[in-house]
Amino acid sequence: MAPASILNLPPASALQENIDAAEASIGVSPHPVYLHNLALSITHNLQYHHDWTSVSVHTHSSLTNSPLPRPVISGLPPKRAYIHPDEQAEILKVEHSTGKSIPQIPEREWVLPTHLQEKWSLAKFAAVFDALDTVPLAGKEPSVAKESAEVVGHQWQGKNRLKRLLLATLHDDSTVVYYIMHDGIVKPRQN
Amino acid sequence: MAEAYDSVSEPIPISLIAGRYLLFDVNVVTYLRRTHNICGSLIGGIPQAPQQNMFLGLPVELMPEEAALLVKKEIGYIVDDVAWHTQRFNTFEGEDRQKYLASLRSQGLKARKTAQFAARKRADHGLRKLVAKKAIESDSSEDESPDTPFDGTSSDALYDVDRPSSPAPSSIAFASSEPYALTPSTSYSPSSLPQNSSPAPDPPVGPGYALFELLQSRGYFMMPGLRFGCNFNVYPGDPLRFHAHFLANAYEFDEEIPLIDLIGGGRLGTSVKKGFVIGGEDLDAEAESGRKMRTFCIEWGGM
Repeated sequence: MAPASILNLPPASALQENIDAAEASIGVSPHPVYLHNLALSITHNLQYHHDWTSVSVHTHSSLTNSPLPRPVISGLPPKRAYIHPDEQAEILKVEHSTGKSIPQIPEREWVLPTHLQEKWSLAKFAAVFDALDTVPLAGKEPSVAKESAEVVGHQWQGKNRLKRLLLATLHDDSTVVYYIMHDGIVKPRQN
Repeated sequence: MAEAYDSVSEPIPISLIAGRYLLFDVNVVTYLRRTHNICGSLIGGIPQAPQQNMFLGLPVELMPEEAALLVKKEIGYIVDDVAWHTQRFNTFEGEDRQKYLASLRSQGLKARKTAQFAARKRADHGLRKLVAKKAIESDSSEDESPDTPFDGTSSDALYDVDRPSSPAPSSIAFASSEPYALTPSTSYSPSSLPQNSSPAPDPPVGPGYALFELLQSRGYFMMPGLRFGCNFNVYPGDPLRFHAHFLANAYEFDEEIPLIDLIGGGRLGTSVKKGFVIGGEDLDAEAESGRKMRTFCIEWGGM
């Protein structure tokens, strides 16, 4: 005999709506549900805390068509997530000589959802990197980044860039931290 | 300098004393640093500044990975110094003993000669300066008093100019023929290297060796990583000229890594303007060229 007011649940939160909306696709996925929920939490954080756009969750590798080790997110950050130090140096050089600033167009990035309680290993990271393309396939929207030789720093953009992903780590208080992870030895940025 | 540098010949003996890999020859240390990217760390006290512990002198202690790499590339070999010393000096009799003592004596004489030469040069230099000073003084005094053509100072100057050519009585004190007493830093001279009768065991290498070897082969210099809490600090050139680029941690390929370690390493690395590298060897992978290494570089994402 619960009071009638309790039966009227408050409206679902944005995160709950997000999870509910993804439920249909989770059913047919090869991955366990908790990994999907993890990916959804990260997706939510990317979209609503960091203004990422066209965020999507990938369950299968575009290289081998076999399932990925876990669902991996790709999306478009509001500004470039990573600029290689050599590219930065070249941009500054060109900007200095021409006197015009070069607009930096964001590129799609991979995001690997993880939880702080997990333990990873070199083998697991290697498996994820081996299953991923260098650049995530653009969804429905056209690729914004031009891949032409005229673009300053094109050696470090698009297909020419080194394989990288953003390691997103979720904690129980819903904090998410993002670390850029490169496949191989890449010299650090001069920040 | 260049001569001493050329005199280093491979393979180089690396002294193993109390579990440490040590080098005692400054030429060897310079040679390894210049040609093989091997730095080691200076651990010896400096007699002039015995209290400081920032800038130290010989000997140089090598990391086990450095010693292992030198042995593997046949640049050096390990000498168990304690065993070698006992073996050599317990069976030291007759002619060999005399010869050894004579070699010590001749080195002592050489050292004494060098010291004498330096002292004489210093004395000469000082006297010449004195002469020059006096000559200037006498010149100015002549200008002031031209009426006195012959005074004591000018005759003194003449006497001083003559002095270096004839042996001064003071320099006889240097001429003692007694050699300096020498304490050799190693139990052997380069000409009498051990015959490798009992080769010391190769340095023990952990999972860090594969990563060390990879980074070394790419021209990086490695130093012990204690100051950043990692296995190695990785420098793009000589650590005296460059800041480190990376903090490197080695793991076995299937070793579990808590994510908090990666985040902590990435955060620390970014705050000191370095990358955090983790790496290890994939033992199962079919390698075309030696090792199959996997390395990952972690930086803060800025969001």
